[in-house]
Amino acid sequence: MIDSIARPTAAIRARPVLGAASVVALFVALWMALIWSPPDAAMGNVVRILYVHVANAWLAYLAFVVVFLASIAYLWTKRPAFDAIAVASAEIGVLFTGLTLVLGSIWAKPTWGVWWSWEPRVVTTAVMFAMYVGYLLLRNLSNDLERRATRAAVLGIVLVVDVPIVHLSVTWMNALHQLPTVLRPDLSPTLDPRMLASLVAMTIAFTIVYAYLMTARVDIERRRQARIIEARA
Amino acid sequence: MTIARIWRIAAREALAERGHPDGFVAAITFVATLILVESLAVGPLAAGQPPVAAALFWIAMAFAAILATTRSFDRELEDDAIDAILALPGGRDALYGGKVVALTALLALVALVGGLLSGVLLSLAIALPGHLALVLVAGVLGLPPVIVLFVTLALRLRARGALVPILALPVLVPQLVAATNGTAAAIVGDATGALGWTGLLIAFALVYSVLGLTIVPTALE
Repeated sequence: MIDSIARPTAAIRARPVLGAASVVALFVALWMALIWSPPDAAMGNVVRILYVHVANAWLAYLAFVVVFLASIAYLWTKRPAFDAIAVASAEIGVLFTGLTLVLGSIWAKPTWGVWWSWEPRVVTTAVMFAMYVGYLLLRNLSNDLERRATRAAVLGIVLVVDVPIVHLSVTWMNALHQLPTVLRPDLSPTLDPRMLASLVAMTIAFTIVYAYLMTARVDIERRRQARIIEARA
Repeated sequence: MTIARIWRIAAREALAERGHPDGFVAAITFVATLILVESLAVGPLAAGQPPVAAALFWIAMAFAAILATTRSFDRELEDDAIDAILALPGGRDALYGGKVVALTALLALVALVGGLLSGVLLSLAIALPGHLALVLVAGVLGLPPVIVLFVTLALRLRARGALVPILALPVLVPQLVAATNGTAAAIVGDATGALGWTGLLIAFALVYSVLGLTIVPTALE
């Protein structure tokens, strides 16, 4: 049991490759975003924050959907690996949701004239951030491996309800925040082709970074689980 | 039969509350104190504005619901009764369902007293009392499924008192917004608005009740 938990999986063995790919992809995406893509007609160079802001938000969605899927898988199979995936993804999701809020605030100042606006997308994102901080808090308050994993899995399933609310809030309610420009209902992005290519490149780069961080964090969690089981035996 | 067990747990809860009404007394005292203190803090004139009065009332109700639910589970833990209930076949579903039913009844009473108190203290002129009653019922129905779920998740954890509001309040945001807007609409005479928000509150209550009955039994050990 302990051996199987501590044994590195294929994904963890791929970490050096993912690390190198992250550096290359980020370098290319940054070049595209900062140099190759044109400035916006209205916002000028301020628009360049879009590339990291949207990529951050995408990663937050992705991370919390992975928490949801890993939580279902844990309740279904009771395999600790899924709990490790859930906690790793939740931590990364909280980090990137926090960065999304900070970057959004920095972008809001020159475009909306304020650091913070009580508009639906911003507020629902802040609520989502608070929810997943609560998820991490719940995990930290229990030392029992199985109980902690079960409670966290139930919470991981309940909290995912907020992810579509955050994404669709700008469509449901009149708001300052711009409507979706890429993931639109009619699947026709409204961005300049070079801007769209830069945004896609940045999103791919961030997704590779997510995969790299996941392999590192899952590895740490698997070792922690093995230590707890060893201490209990 | 799970429904019969749910009623049995709810009836047991009502009996316990009738014997020692500490949950009800704590909740009603808390709502009254919070309405009074909040109204003083923002000033009676501002607190008397329908949206502000409605928001103060529902925030007080949310915290009172957390208080009453925590107290209810504390009573089970003190008596070691919870392990016996969980050991019964279907006991986990019945515990969740029974607590939701009992807490809903208790909160209905708290909402009635708290609502009257708000109306008198803030001199609220209610244009649509029937609609207001509907919003209150729907708002009360929306709180327990979520709060019982989170109190169950935090059961036997240290720092539970702090953890439950941290977990529950962000999830309750849609219910609080809907209940506040619905109540304000009923006070000012907007029937369509009040009914619309009531429908939303009932939808949330249904979604979280089904979700709770489906997954909470898994979380109970």
